[in-house]
Order: sequence, then structure tokens, then C-alpha cells
Amino acid sequence: MNDLKETVVMNLPRRDARDKLQGRTKYTVDVGGLEMLHAALRRADVASAKIRHIDVRAALAMPGVHAIATAADAPGLHGLGIADHPIFAGETVRYHGEPIAAVAADTLTQARAAAAAIVVEYDDLPAVLTMADALAPDAALVHPDWRNYEILFEGGARGGNVAWQATVERGDTDAAFAREDVTIVENVYQVGRQNHVPFEPRAVTAAFEDGRYHIHTSTQAPWTVKHVTARVLGVPDSAVHVTVPAVGGGFGLKFDCSLEPYAAILARKTGRTVSQVNSRKEEMMTCLCRENADIRIRSAVTKDGDIVGREATVLMDCGAYGGEQVFLTTMTAHTLGGNYKLGSVRLCTKAVYTNTPPNGAFRACNGVYNTFALERHTDEICAAIGMDPVAFRRRNVVGDGDIGATGQVFRGNVLEPMLDQLTAKYPVERRSGTLPDGRLYGRATTVGTWFIFVGPSAATVNLNADGSATLVTAGVEIGSGTMMQSLPQIVAANLGIHPDKVIVKTADTDAAGRDLGVGGGRTTVSIGAASEAACAQVRDKLLGVVAELLQTSADKLVLSGGRVEIQGRPGSGTTIEKIVQQAETSIGPLSGSGAFTAPGERSMPGCAAGHFIDAIDIPVFAVHDCEVAVDPVTGHVEILSYRLVQDVGLALNPRAIHGQIQGGVVQGIGYALTEEITINSDGAFDQTGFETYRMPLAGDVLPIEFDLYEGAPSIGPLGTKGAGEVPILNVAAAIGCAVSNATGKSVNALPMTPPRVAALIDGKAPAPEMGHIDTVWVKNLVRS
Amino acid sequence: MAVTFTLNGQQRRYSGDPRTSLMDALRRDFRLTGTKDVCGEGFCGACLVHIDGVPKVSCLLPIGAVEGADVTTIEGVGDLGTLNPVQQAFEDFDVVQCGMCFPGMVMTLSHFLQDNPRPSRDEVKSALVGNICRCTGYERIIDAVMSLHNSAEGRK
Repeated sequence: MNDLKETVVMNLPRRDARDKLQGRTKYTVDVGGLEMLHAALRRADVASAKIRHIDVRAALAMPGVHAIATAADAPGLHGLGIADHPIFAGETVRYHGEPIAAVAADTLTQARAAAAAIVVEYDDLPAVLTMADALAPDAALVHPDWRNYEILFEGGARGGNVAWQATVERGDTDAAFAREDVTIVENVYQVGRQNHVPFEPRAVTAAFEDGRYHIHTSTQAPWTVKHVTARVLGVPDSAVHVTVPAVGGGFGLKFDCSLEPYAAILARKTGRTVSQVNSRKEEMMTCLCRENADIRIRSAVTKDGDIVGREATVLMDCGAYGGEQVFLTTMTAHTLGGNYKLGSVRLCTKAVYTNTPPNGAFRACNGVYNTFALERHTDEICAAIGMDPVAFRRRNVVGDGDIGATGQVFRGNVLEPMLDQLTAKYPVERRSGTLPDGRLYGRATTVGTWFIFVGPSAATVNLNADGSATLVTAGVEIGSGTMMQSLPQIVAANLGIHPDKVIVKTADTDAAGRDLGVGGGRTTVSIGAASEAACAQVRDKLLGVVAELLQTSADKLVLSGGRVEIQGRPGSGTTIEKIVQQAETSIGPLSGSGAFTAPGERSMPGCAAGHFIDAIDIPVFAVHDCEVAVDPVTGHVEILSYRLVQDVGLALNPRAIHGQIQGGVVQGIGYALTEEITINSDGAFDQTGFETYRMPLAGDVLPIEFDLYEGAPSIGPLGTKGAGEVPILNVAAAIGCAVSNATGKSVNALPMTPPRVAALIDGKAPAPEMGHIDTVWVKNLVRS
Repeated sequence: MAVTFTLNGQQRRYSGDPRTSLMDALRRDFRLTGTKDVCGEGFCGACLVHIDGVPKVSCLLPIGAVEGADVTTIEGVGDLGTLNPVQQAFEDFDVVQCGMCFPGMVMTLSHFLQDNPRPSRDEVKSALVGNICRCTGYERIIDAVMSLHNSAEGRK
């Protein structure tokens, strides 16, 4: 295995760079031609209404129009945990931007004109636009029929505008908070939404061929697209075939099915290939954002710094439909309830329906704001008990044998040595002060715990007669480089060939087995493990053939440099090409298949309710440190330094990981400082384009200094962990804590825009209003 | 009334509506999809092309305005077998991720380096004020550009 590690690690360049740099890569948005029809959606321009009447007759008669689809064409409901989501609003509009009809026409201009000409008459209903509104005693229900929905995953409490509730109860927090020797610290936090802004918007082409739908789409999860499209169209999954070219950015947005069913229906109705692409405005206004959230957290801490009790309630706005937030309620336990040893803990996380655009998954999801809340709260605890924040963290971070919120047992000391590594390299001289130019200086060090999402993956490896290998999986190249770098590296190392000789088949659900999708840092781990298993089959067959040929036993053979040799006797063997040729006359072409799934880590029985994952299979840790300068007049925050240590298991391609760290931290800087979405009284986002949604520019960023921490336990192939998702995890936490230290004020809300920071300094930014989360934890529970 | 212009070295005619954006005409009618349609408002720079050697955002420019002009798109930079120095540095430094912003980055920086062969890091960042990238966090792109600067100095 050690030999394998030596050959697998390299800074392999990406094979897709050249075409991308020459503008030759064909993303889904680039597929076109005269044979294609173009689709446009008619979207609701109200947040909550009954649809009294839809009339498509005039639109259908317009020039170039071939077909119009409405709710009657797609009766099925889909969702995660609960099937609550139709693809078209039929009787009820639940958010501004919800699709009502889809039009296919010869040109996009014609399709848009016809979509606008569809007559839709509404009877307005009251809209709940905030979670405070949604949880008010007399709130209008976003889903009055919530009891009638099919449950796809058992265990979550539901009721009214609470789509899903997950709870953790371990130990006796009442007793902990009643102790006389504890200090009780309580805080509230509020964060807004973050828009992914993938440069390629959600896009698809669809055709109806030989009785099946062929969907060519910009997705992270081809098997999810296949299943959800089939479900809402009411056809068997086998009737849907999904292929995926290069994807122009995902960041989690494309982990859900999106435009595919509309294009599929229109393709069937017209008999033509249909192209559908979100306009930038549609993409911005219906983005499945990182959700806005409201958090109340309190802890009982001894003067020595033991956290004997913790209670928290997290409200996640899922928008009009449950979506990913239903699943993500699970992750509070492993983030807000992670990082630190807790004597007792109670957590309540609710996905709350509002009449706003649905939210989704965004790189490290709720981990990002739960870590912000937890680390800010941790610094408040340190201030309250008078303990150094790094010393407090060293004392309390989870280590070998410690238990997490749900009672799972962690293996290995990881966070503590990572903290030591960072603070040894960058000793803390001060955490606050004033710079010579008058700006306020702050520094903070934060820790974070997240997970590598595992679950099912399949792989097939064919060893070809020219000594190359073909890897067939449903993995998608979304930009992170995993399909271009780590997977060919893993296959090559296992077969003793160079990664350039590994052909990577683009995702095709007709060729590759089931896969959960590219996201959650799972690709290298899950598809990598399946690929390794497939390689093991190929290797066994290959060595069997050679053993017979050379009259030796297979365990004395080694694969390296495209050859098989008898161990210790270079030149004794032969080339892989020759063996493949030999095999074709004896056992046939050499191929293997492999599979992987979540092994299932144990939690403590009875601790967790409504969780999709009670214990995490691969925890992943990060330590971030940053220094800021805050302008006391304008409130502008400049980041002076940003340093981190990231737990990667094994760094397969350190240069590619550098790219993920630099990019992920910068996305986190945008989230922390400038990226803001506000929802107006119509229930629509105010930020409809790049002028108003402020992403970091080149001049806003700095080089991220990093060290990779290797060797922490992982079930990933060769001990790897995913490295692309986690860099964003504690960025808002580190910057938020540093700004708090600089200003001497409590940062309780994101993003830290200059006006908000200026108000904070002036004492005009009170803690967020949190009357809709009861201070008595148990009163927040929905019972059903 | 048709618009006549030079596109990647060849004389071309466009006989559609001259108010059509150059970007739409390039992508839809000439099928040169390397010019990317991202923000459509002139902020992101993914649709940059060179018009008479100067980078311009093609999403805001009616094709009628390029009558008689020399238009170069990303497909016209270098040739299939050879990357230009900026493209080569990006490949060598492994800075490409999703790739959607890179055609525009190449168009901006190729022109910028002609006039500023030895820029400072801050000058490169200033040159990129009209190019947004959502994946990379920019700094490694700057590293790649600075390597050109360094190698130019090294040759001296």
C-alpha cells in the first residue's frame, strides 16, 4: 500500500484545460443547431396565489410555437424526505418565479414571447415571506395539505409550516444548566442567503428517442435527474437516459433535478430536440441558495472551560418546498453539535416553509453558518469565563474516543494537532488593536467539523489492448478536477500505468451504474473506492494470466510502469499490452466492476430523531485563522492575512487541492462580507444580476496560506478525504470572530457589509430579533 | 442591410438584425461558442472579444457596430496546436477549473500584456477588474501571469 501511495501522489495537470482555454469545450449551453427547438418558462410573478385560470390558446397560435406544457403534463410530486414539490404550479403558486407553463418554439425569442402571452389569472393569497411570519400562531400555511404528502423517509416531525424537524437529545441539559458552578452564555445569530452563481446557468437539451427520453444536461447528479424526471413524468426510471458534458460550475446548485423535466415533456410533445437554458435573471431569482437561517444557542460552561450543557435551535428557510433543507436538518448535529466535547446536548433543527424561492445545497451547506454561529458563540464563552480562545479550543475539540452530538465515537486526534500546527507556525501576538493608519485590527482562530458525504457509487474498468484503461462511472467534471485528476491517478496507480493512459468516460446513465452524484466532497472517496474495487478485479485477472504465462504465483508479481514483473527482478516480465492480447485467447478482455457505499457509522441509540445520517462516516476538520483591518468610519473590512490547516487524509494532487482552497476560501469571503440577497414585499430577490449581487473580484482577494494535514483516519481509497468542499467551511466564522475582536462588538449576522459593520461600531446594530425561537428549548419542538 | 466584417481572419457577412448583440450572433449564428454568455450585462467579461485588437464585451455591442472591423474571438487566438503564452501559463499552472470565465480572461490578459509586458501583481489585478471568476479565487491566475513576467525578465 505504501508503494501505491508513492506512485499515486502527483501534480497531474488537467486534460480538459487546453480545450477550455481555447473556447472549444462544449458545455450544455453550447449545444445547439437549427434542428433544435428552444424552450422558455412562464413563471409566476406573485408569491402566493390560487390560479383561477390559465389560457394557452393565443400563445399556442403564435409564430414558431410548437407546444406548451402545464401541470396536466406532469402530475407527479418529488422531494427529499417528503414528496411536496410539483414541477408546475397547477392550482397554487407558492413562490415568485414558480414555473406555470413551458413553451417550445423555433427560436428563443418566439418561446419567450409566447410564454409572456399565456393568460394567467390569480386570486391572491396571503404570503409568509419570513420564518418569523411562517411560525406565527395564525400564519397562513404554505402547504395546507401537508398531511397528505407521501413520506419518502421516515422519522422527521412535521406540522404546519415546519416541513421537517430533526432533534438531538443526549444527556440531561436541564441538570447541566441548573448547576451552580456554571456560566451560561446565550447568543442569537442570523444569516442571509448565498447565491451560487455558476457561470453556466442550469441548462438542458432533451430528445425523445426510441421511446425513451435522452437528457443531456448540466448537472452534478445524473442519477437524481434520471429518477426525478421519471417520477414527475410518471414513467419508469429506465425510460430516462442522462448524459453530462463538462459542467460550467455547480457548487451544489446542480445537485438537484432542475429544468430537465420541462425539456423532456416538450421533446415528447414535439418530437424534436429541445434546448432550455435559464436566463441569468431567472438563474439569479430562482437559485436554490444556501438558505437564510436563524439560530439561538446557549451553553453551560464551568470556570475550567468544560461545556457541560448545550442547547440550540436552528431554523432553516427551505422556501416554498422542502428540498435539500429537509435532508440538511441532519447536519446541525454534526456541525453546531460538532467541534467540541459536550457533556449534554439538545438540538432542534427545523426546515421552515415560506412563500419564497426554494433553497438547496451550496458547498458545505449549513455547515458554513453553523460554524459561524458556533465559533462566534465559542468566543463569547471564552470572554465570559476569561479563557484564551485557542486554549479553550485545544481543551475542548473532539479527539480520539470522544463522542459527538449523536454519540458517535471519533477516532484519532486531529483537530488538536492541527490547531497546534497553525499556532506554532503563526504565533498569536495579539487579537485586537489599532493599526498605524487608524483602522481597527482583529485576529481570530476557528475550528470546523464537516463530513464527507459517501453513499453508493459504481465503477467499471476495462483494460484495453493498447495498455490503456477506460474508467466508466456516472461522475461529472464540474470544474473541481476530480474526474480529470484524482480518479485517473487512483486507477493508474492501481494498474501500474500512467494516468495519461486512463480514459475517463463522461457521465452516462446507460453506461455507468448508480451514483449519488458529485457533491459533498464524495467523488474522490466514493467513486474512487468503487474504481479501486474495479481495478482489483482487473488486476486479479491480469496477474492470473501472467502467473500462468511465467509459471509463477500471482502474489510474486508487481504491476508498474505498464509492465508486470516478478518481484525484485526487473525485466523478467512483460508488457500489459502483451498480457491483454494473451488474455483475449484464454479468458477474454480484461474488465472489472466495483462498488462502494456508506459503511454506516454507529451513533448512540435514541439520541437522534429525524436524521438522515445519525453518524458521519468520514469526519473532516479544518482550522482557519485570519487577520482583518476594519475602517472605523466606513465599516469596510480588509483581510490582511488568511491561513489554514486542512485535513485531507492523503493529498493525491496537492496543486489541485491548492486550487480548491484558494477558490473555496474566496467564495467564503464573498459570503462573509459582500454577497447579500434581500427579499422584497413581492417575495422576489432584489439581486437579479451581477450589478447588485456583489461577488469577490480579483482586487478583493489575497493568496491563502495553507498546510495540508495528512494521516487522519479515513475509509476513503488510500486514506483520502474529499478536499474541494471543506475550504469554505469556517471562512465566515474566522472573519466574523476577527471583526468582533477588531471592533469589540458582537458580530451576530452575515454578511458583514460595510453599512452593517459601521452600524455595529456605532452601537446601532442590535442583536437580531429572535422572538420566534423560544428561549426555553423544549417549547420550540413540533410534535407529530 | 448586411453587416460585413472580418471574423478570425475571414471575411464574414451577417444579414440578420444589426441590433442583435455581437455575442448572440457569434454564439447562435456563427456557432463560435467559446465566447461565453454569462451575465449579459457587461460585468463579468466572459464574452470578451478583440475588436481591432481591443477587448470589448460582445454582449453589449450590436453587431451592426462591427461593420468593417476586425473581430477576433477566443477561437481565433493562436491556432489549434499552439496555445498563446497566457493560455500556456494557465495550463502549466493548472489554474483552470470550470473554465467558463477563461476565454474572457485570455482575451483581457493577452491584450494587457502587449502594452504592459512587466506588470506588477496589483496591475494584473487591476487589469482583471472586468473579469469575474467564481471558481478559482484569482490568485493562482495572477501567479501564472506573473510567471510570464518573470520569464521575460529572466531572458533579459
